[in-house]
Amino acid sequence: MVIDKNKVKRNKSWDKFFRYFFMAMALLSSSFIVIIILFVCSKGISPFLPNYEYGQVDFISFLTGTVYRQDQGIYGVGFIVINTILSAFLALLIAFPISVLTALFIAKIAPKKLGAIMQNVVELLASVPSIVYGVFAAGVITEIVKYLASLFGYSTFGGSSLLAVIMLLAIMIFPTLTSLSITAIRSVDPSLEHASLALGATETQTNFKVVLTTAKSGIFAGAILGLGRAYGEATAVAMVAGNKLFGPTFNPFDITRTLTSTMLAGLKETTGLDYDIRFSVGLVLIVIIFVSNFILNFVKKRIGNTV
Amino acid sequence: MEKAFEVKDVNLFYGEKQALKNINLDIYKNKVTAFIGPSGCGKSTFIRCLNRMNDLIEGCKVEGTIIKDGIDIYSSKQDIVDLRTRVGMVFQKPNPFPMSIYDNIAYGPRCQGLKDKKQLDEIVVRSLKQAALYEEVQGNLDASALGLSGGQQQRLCIARCIAMSPEVILMDEPTSALDPISTSKIEDLVLELKKNYTIVIVTHNMQQAARISDITAFFLLGEIVECDKTDIIFSSPNDIRTENYITGRFG
Amino acid sequence: MSRKVKDNLLKAVTYAASAISVIVLASILIYLVDHGLSSINMDLITSNYNAETFNAKVADDYVYSPMEVEDYDGYYSAKWGVAFEDVETVHKTNEISVAYVDSNSPFAHLESLIAGQEGTRQSLENNYVINNLYYNDAEGNQVYLSQGKMESAENLANILENEVTEIVSLNYQSLGGGIKGSIITTLYLILISLTLSLPIGISSAIYLHEYANKNKINSLIRQGIDTLTGIPSIIYGLMGVTVLFPITQLVGATSTSILLGGLTLAIILLPTIIRSTEEALIIVPQSLRDASLSLGATKSQTIFKVVLPCAMNGILTGVLLSIGRVIGESAALVYTTSTVINDYPTILSQGTSLALMIWSIMSGEQPNFELASAISLIILVIVFAINTIVKIIGKHFAKSFS
Repeated sequence: MVIDKNKVKRNKSWDKFFRYFFMAMALLSSSFIVIIILFVCSKGISPFLPNYEYGQVDFISFLTGTVYRQDQGIYGVGFIVINTILSAFLALLIAFPISVLTALFIAKIAPKKLGAIMQNVVELLASVPSIVYGVFAAGVITEIVKYLASLFGYSTFGGSSLLAVIMLLAIMIFPTLTSLSITAIRSVDPSLEHASLALGATETQTNFKVVLTTAKSGIFAGAILGLGRAYGEATAVAMVAGNKLFGPTFNPFDITRTLTSTMLAGLKETTGLDYDIRFSVGLVLIVIIFVSNFILNFVKKRIGNTV
Repeated sequence: MEKAFEVKDVNLFYGEKQALKNINLDIYKNKVTAFIGPSGCGKSTFIRCLNRMNDLIEGCKVEGTIIKDGIDIYSSKQDIVDLRTRVGMVFQKPNPFPMSIYDNIAYGPRCQGLKDKKQLDEIVVRSLKQAALYEEVQGNLDASALGLSGGQQQRLCIARCIAMSPEVILMDEPTSALDPISTSKIEDLVLELKKNYTIVIVTHNMQQAARISDITAFFLLGEIVECDKTDIIFSSPNDIRTENYITGRFG
Repeated sequence: MSRKVKDNLLKAVTYAASAISVIVLASILIYLVDHGLSSINMDLITSNYNAETFNAKVADDYVYSPMEVEDYDGYYSAKWGVAFEDVETVHKTNEISVAYVDSNSPFAHLESLIAGQEGTRQSLENNYVINNLYYNDAEGNQVYLSQGKMESAENLANILENEVTEIVSLNYQSLGGGIKGSIITTLYLILISLTLSLPIGISSAIYLHEYANKNKINSLIRQGIDTLTGIPSIIYGLMGVTVLFPITQLVGATSTSILLGGLTLAIILLPTIIRSTEEALIIVPQSLRDASLSLGATKSQTIFKVVLPCAMNGILTGVLLSIGRVIGESAALVYTTSTVINDYPTILSQGTSLALMIWSIMSGEQPNFELASAISLIILVIVFAINTIVKIIGKHFAKSFS
């Protein structure tokens, strides 16, 4: 065949070009994480520096403060951090057993067709955008909370409360937890199950004793991911949190305030320090997520090793 | 006889593991050279050295020289893409692209910048005819190549290879995934093609090597035990290991 | 307790746990349908959110001619060619709205009286509301008809038909409450974010899967991309206003804008697109790449001519999932496109996507549950449809290379 030498040369230079182009794009993609952290950090730290244009904020009282009033210029996020961690953990506590049991049901116990339907239900729940969960929470969960509060003789602020936030977050992290648990359960080596069955254990005993313990590392990974989502969930939580000015909140029927709801509250009409301080709050959120992931991954390794 | 390849002291490593040891071999033009040997003996690895397909495998390192037309193909002087246009390859499993029959065969020439429709038509028809597939797919060139049978797909892959007018065709166990009838068609085709091309074929099937090759090399544990004319290898091999293998004592 | 009883009890517990998720999904759907379905109609989709008020008189060159439609089913004034109906608006008020305007009606040939736009031709449209009307009666006296005196659609049609001899001027308004602007904004956001993140994301995936060998730098690149997934979207919003805002300023943005929101979303989408492209690249058989290279194609030719066409399904999945993500995203956009509902969005203006519009109307003094539910329902239908298509593609794709 006649080979066009020029075309071949051009092919080669294109080949080289694309090689570097693809590499540059990959570098760009991965650089965003650095850019995000760098810029949020620098802007978040700025209010604590001495030459800050709207007047320096004391870093320690910001971190440990128990009052957050933008109208008076008092910014303390200590109680908000506690609220955020508390609501996320309690949500995880509720969602975790339900998710694991549902995953076990879908992967092992349910008849094939029912399992497939249930898996679809979980996938649909996973695809519901958070703002829609927010509407649901504001319309339904608050009513449930109001009813529960009246049972215990408490009054609520229209249902917005710590309890509503916890219930909302539990529902929102449930699909993540469940689908990761399903993956973990499905990847359990069948020979282990066979061994258990051969020893005279019933299928249910095998499922609970062998399958779940073998899959626990994967399930735990789901819990870490779910917790991360719970910390960072913003608009939906802000719709039922109520934005309390001080705290921390321990009464489930009292309104609360999370880092994300703080970042969103009254954003429309704000400038200056009150705007910049949201970056500081965002920075605290990033730190909490990273630290919490670090600790939990450490715990996960310990758990994984004790099998 | 003219040599298509002169292979001198080739050693190949996958990371720490040595897969080929001191390979020395001449491959002659317009002959069918067959590589036989038990699985894992390095025959497929070696054939992939001849068009540098091993470059794609991470951690693969080749030492020694393989000379083609006076140039060591592993030297920096050799352009890989150019080498591969001259040394075509047919793989173990038929691997047509998910495109039409026509596009499959026109793929190589198009990559080289050939756009002229008339020339392409001509190449496609000629290649299909040479690969003895034309009769079966005539008038159906726009159909998906995936709709062909396994044997047809493999002949399509051969046609695709021929379309580049290579000097050498490497065949890596081309019939191992096919039924006996398709296999015999491919074997006939190889005998036909050797008039115009140099053919190197890896095969698991000793009868096949005996039927179609002129020269046979026996590989064992990454080394060439023996390489000679096919009738000699199969009638009076020098090495006892070759004899044991071809008489079916192991394999 | 016997083993069997215990087994059955444990099984029952898993059934019960699974029932919870069904209940949650069902109650979400029931709530949204119950509160939102009745608001969903073409008007919702095609009309503006903010009410617009007009002040107009009948155009000077208008010549009265008989109406095209003589009898309209409803409260119709055949003389003036206009029909009315009683409606309940999305803002929960009762209004008399226009149901039909004949093309020969004087109401279809109006001239604006608003200072600055005098003489602009306009027309009374369906679903508009007449706030007040000046007319001349049979004796030639000018009469002021206030909204209170209109009472009902029937009464208004009767007054027009029987008492009015000439229309002097009228003040009317569009009802508002529609989501047209938010739909357009959402489309803009999808367009901007995908245009940017598709090439970057697909290229990154190609590099990671086709070129990158295992070394420190490449594993760092991969880790960087993986970490993006765990960042909450509100943080992306913060990044958008600091890092990307100056970029939008270069093309003329003066405030937060749809462009800024699109850029921010583009980064949010990257991990999704990279992952689904890479998953598709993994499925493309190595033998096809070998075949292409053995035919003397270069690596990039192999990628563009063989690998990418085979991975098309996976890329399409990524695109669909991305569209779903853009439609559902709210937190990142609060910071970057603002929460001002804009009926006439442009790329450099502020505006709300559908999801952000929900946030906007729910975080005000008087949350509008009906409209929020209606929009939620629309979003859910789209997202569920995307989910289903992705599943079908996935099944089809798995088959094509087996």
